Amino acid sequence: MQDSIVIDNLTKYYNGFLALDKVSLRVKWNEDVALLGPNGAGKTTTLKILCGLLRPSAGKAYLAGVNVVEEREQAVSKVGAILETPEFYQFFTPRETLSYLGRLRDMDGRELKGRIKEVLNLVRLNEWTDVKIEKFSRGMKQRLALAQALLHDPPILILDEPSLGLDPRGMVEFREILKEERKKKTVFFASHLLTEVALICKKVAIIDRGKLRAYDDISKLKKKYRSFEKAYLKLTEGAV
Amino acid sequence: MSEFEKLKVVTKYELLKQIRRKRFYGALAMTILAVALTIGFYKGLDIPTKLQENVPVLLRIPDSADMFAMFVTSMSALAILGAVFFAGDAIASEFERKTGYILFPNPVKRTTLVVGKYLACFIATATILAVAYLISAGASLAFYGQVPGGMLGSFALALALASGIISLAFAFSSVFKGGMGATIATLLTYMVVFSVISSGLAYAGYNPWFMLDRAGDAITSTYGVPFAQVFGGMMGGGQTMGGMMQASSDPVLSFLTSLTYAGVLFLLSIWVTKRRDMI
Repeated sequence: MQDSIVIDNLTKYYNGFLALDKVSLRVKWNEDVALLGPNGAGKTTTLKILCGLLRPSAGKAYLAGVNVVEEREQAVSKVGAILETPEFYQFFTPRETLSYLGRLRDMDGRELKGRIKEVLNLVRLNEWTDVKIEKFSRGMKQRLALAQALLHDPPILILDEPSLGLDPRGMVEFREILKEERKKKTVFFASHLLTEVALICKKVAIIDRGKLRAYDDISKLKKKYRSFEKAYLKLTEGAV
Repeated sequence: MSEFEKLKVVTKYELLKQIRRKRFYGALAMTILAVALTIGFYKGLDIPTKLQENVPVLLRIPDSADMFAMFVTSMSALAILGAVFFAGDAIASEFERKTGYILFPNPVKRTTLVVGKYLACFIATATILAVAYLISAGASLAFYGQVPGGMLGSFALALALASGIISLAFAFSSVFKGGMGATIATLLTYMVVFSVISSGLAYAGYNPWFMLDRAGDAITSTYGVPFAQVFGGMMGGGQTMGGMMQASSDPVLSFLTSLTYAGVLFLLSIWVTKRRDMI
């Protein structure tokens, strides 16, 4: 069986600026991997390419064995994603938003209605089901973003700074949800928070200035560099 | 699920978005007000007579349901410009407001998304236009006891023009970073750039039938009333502003011209949107 995520020599230029430099890595099924790095390291660019939002300048990316560039629709059907700080159509309610996205993901009828109720309960937005999103705070939108990522119960979750905007309670609840989800899903998420990464993942890919500096178990990095923090500082030396 | 099924879903929710926005009701209210005022001015200020004061009595065209419809629908067709406000931010806003981060990572082709957005904008515009034409038809029936047959052709031309303008707005929306920029660019292009080119060509003696704004003028050409003769009377001596008022383009040619603009610019907007990175 193919790996859930395969990144092969992925390179991305933005108007001549090299944002991603021949990054390669593989994520096995049901593995949880964090993409860790300072601001501007290339984390978001990697995730955007995986979700078909950016086209790579060179290299390939596969989700569940499907080429993201050549068969984008089929590839992203396996994914639930939160990218950057997502915004929603402010005139819609969470129910309408999730109905729209669910229909695009081939869900319908009772299955969709039941699942919407389920995910809104999970992210504790059940009392806001029919309130227009224009009234939502940053944290509530982040919760809704998680709800839409989980809606179709995808085998792969791609999350970019998913706890951004959440209050401490929200962050704890979010980690609890992820703890459950990662039992049956591949979780690939970007963060620059070492503590969050250490709490959620076993494996980490450290990226800096577009290059993959390390891809290993956190425990092994701790052993090699004496602590996770020292490993991160050493591997991202020179970063601003 | 087939791509056609997805298109129906996208169109339904995009239409819901349009209907939830205040601008839809603003455009609808403005249109109703504009049509009502036009009808009021036409009848209250005796516009058919005033328009032709400089025309020799024997050449004057008597007031009729056709002339009334021509005058009223020429004004109500301004409602087409409402299309710009629906379409200007249709694509750009997905990038500008970051809603594309939720919409684009779905198993649906960007072409389907653009087509769905287009259909929603077109339906919203067509609804407003239909209201304007229905009010005009009702007024014609009330004042003259008949609805001119040319009104249907005029409506068809107005819809074709609306599709051309929506495509123009989509083309800008697919390229521009912001919806406001795309909206302004569309309005300036249609109302200033196209007008300057059309007028320039007309002054030089060329027939600018291939210009979208000139094709739009054909909305008044389906009633069998010589537009230039009626409105040229305003200039005195039968002058026609160097051709500017010779607006009665061939309806069929104008219809096809509008649809050509619609098709070409729409395909361009799809092509650009498919290649646009969500940075």
